[in-house]
Amino acid sequence: MHDLYNFVSGPLVWVAFAVFFFGCLYRLIRMLALVNQKEKFIFSYMSFKYSLRSILHWSIPFATENMRQHPVMTIVTFAFHFCLIITPLFLLAHVILWDEAWHFSWGHLPEGLTDIMTLVVVFGCFFFLIRRLRLPEVQFVTSASDYIILGIVAAPFITGFLAYHQWFNYPFFMILHIISGEIMLITIPFTRLAHMVLAPFTRAYMGSEFGGVRHARDW
Amino acid sequence: MYNRIIKFLGLILVFVLMWVPAHSQDEMTAIDNDMFLKPQRPVSVFQHDEHNETAEIEDCAQCHHLYEDGQLVEGESSEDMRCADCHEEKGIGKTPSLTQAFHLNCKMCHQEKKSGPVMCGECHVK
Ligand code: HEC
Ligand code: HEC
Ligand code: HEC
Ligand code: HEC
Ligand code: HEM
Repeated sequence: MHDLYNFVSGPLVWVAFAVFFFGCLYRLIRMLALVNQKEKFIFSYMSFKYSLRSILHWSIPFATENMRQHPVMTIVTFAFHFCLIITPLFLLAHVILWDEAWHFSWGHLPEGLTDIMTLVVVFGCFFFLIRRLRLPEVQFVTSASDYIILGIVAAPFITGFLAYHQWFNYPFFMILHIISGEIMLITIPFTRLAHMVLAPFTRAYMGSEFGGVRHARDW
Repeated sequence: MYNRIIKFLGLILVFVLMWVPAHSQDEMTAIDNDMFLKPQRPVSVFQHDEHNETAEIEDCAQCHHLYEDGQLVEGESSEDMRCADCHEEKGIGKTPSLTQAFHLNCKMCHQEKKSGPVMCGECHVK
């Protein structure tokens, strides 16, 4: 048990963060290289102002026409993404472990709150799952990988929740949690989860084209 | 009437007599978290004497170390002090925060020895 714990909470964390970081960097560079190769002219009308304007609009709930047409989806999506990113970053246990390893720490949220935020993420995953299964227009564009991605994202939150409450077999779920978190980090750069780093650029491009070329709004 | 008062006082006496030894002989079974302003976790289990016996730790200073002017005082220990006397809520320079003092002290040894709890819930048992 000690060897397993030491391994998944030591070297494997290094591997996961390295793959995550350099993988994302690679995806960004490759994207820029592809644009440079195929559609170089895009750079000529990229505008900081229109980029920022578009990113901002798509970052505020109900600031776009599309969002106003789908209020439930908008609320779930925003709550989901907010909790997905903020929870692990300001989770007491994560901050404490980081401090142990690096002697460096930052603030954390009360555990009662992160517990609820965890449930919001799990609920969001279920919502997206049901949506994929139920709505024909969504099912049409769904492939097996979409379900796998949902599972990869839900897993660290479900296992983390079980471990926090010490339900069932604690050491088992604790180790499963760490492994599932690492799997998520490792898969981000190589799956659709890469939209985490690529999405702002897609928006910047759309914003610039609509703002600078078509003189229209893209929200 | 007097009879009742005497009975009542007698009862209190019995309780006090039972209470005092129960407390003074109480062996440490967990590490108190009263020095934390807003404890988030259940107290950590720690049967002081039994732990140190089974873990074969003879030197009290393994945990109760003594520092003077930032220098470790070799061969002396500080069991008359609490960790919180020197370790504060936030770490200062090389002195870890109180939480980290416990975690580094307890967990690092367990990891090195490959024996004893290392995961949050193994110490902070609900
Ligand atoms: C594995 C670490 C460890 C070792 C070894 C250890 N102690 Fe402790 N001891 C503690 C901790 C932790 C506390 C609680 C301190 C606090 O609350 O600030 C404590 C508290 C105490 C207390 C006061 C609390 C009480 O009610 O008992 C005494 C006295 C004490 N230790 C004596 C000793 C002596 C003597 C030795 C050596 C034979 C020793 N300890 C070895 C960790 C240790
Ligand atoms: C007399 C003051 C004092 C007391 C009492 C004290 N510490 Fe410390 N401790 C320090 C200082 C000062 C440092 C910083 C050492 C340095 O500069 O490297 C330190 C460092 C540490 C470290 C970092 C690693 C190391 O060993 O140097 C740990 C872990 C630690 N203390 C745990 C504890 C625990 C647990 C207790 C209570 C059982 C305790 N300390 C009681 C003063 C104290
Ligand atoms: C110098 C090494 C060392 C330090 C420091 C230490 N431990 Fe341990 N601990 C051990 C070892 C070795 C065992 C396994 C003992 C056995 O064989 O069961 C153990 C076992 C335990 C256990 C399992 C039950 C038991 O009592 O055997 C608990 C709980 C525990 N330690 C808590 C703590 C806490 C809390 C601290 C910090 C205040 C701490 N330990 C500091 C070495 C250490
Ligand atoms: C080897 C035992 C051990 C392990 C493992 C451990 N702790 Fe602790 N922790 C302690 C001790 C001892 C204290 C001192 C006060 C107490 O008993 O709660 C403490 C204090 C704390 C405190 C400050 C007091 C409070 O309740 O707010 C927090 C928070 C905490 N631990 C969280 C964690 C988390 C999160 C983990 C897992 C990442 C963890 N601990 C793992 C032994 C441990
Ligand atoms: C990379 C390695 C990781 C490690 C070492 C780790 C470690 C931990 C630990 C120790 C706990 C506390 C369990 C307890 O209280 O007993 C925890 C809880 C949790 N972790 Fe992680 N984690 C990792 C990755 C992740 C990732 C990538 C995510 C999500 C993206 C995540 C989300 C959570 C959540 C949601 C909880 C529980 C919150 C709650 O219900 O209160 N973790 N983690």
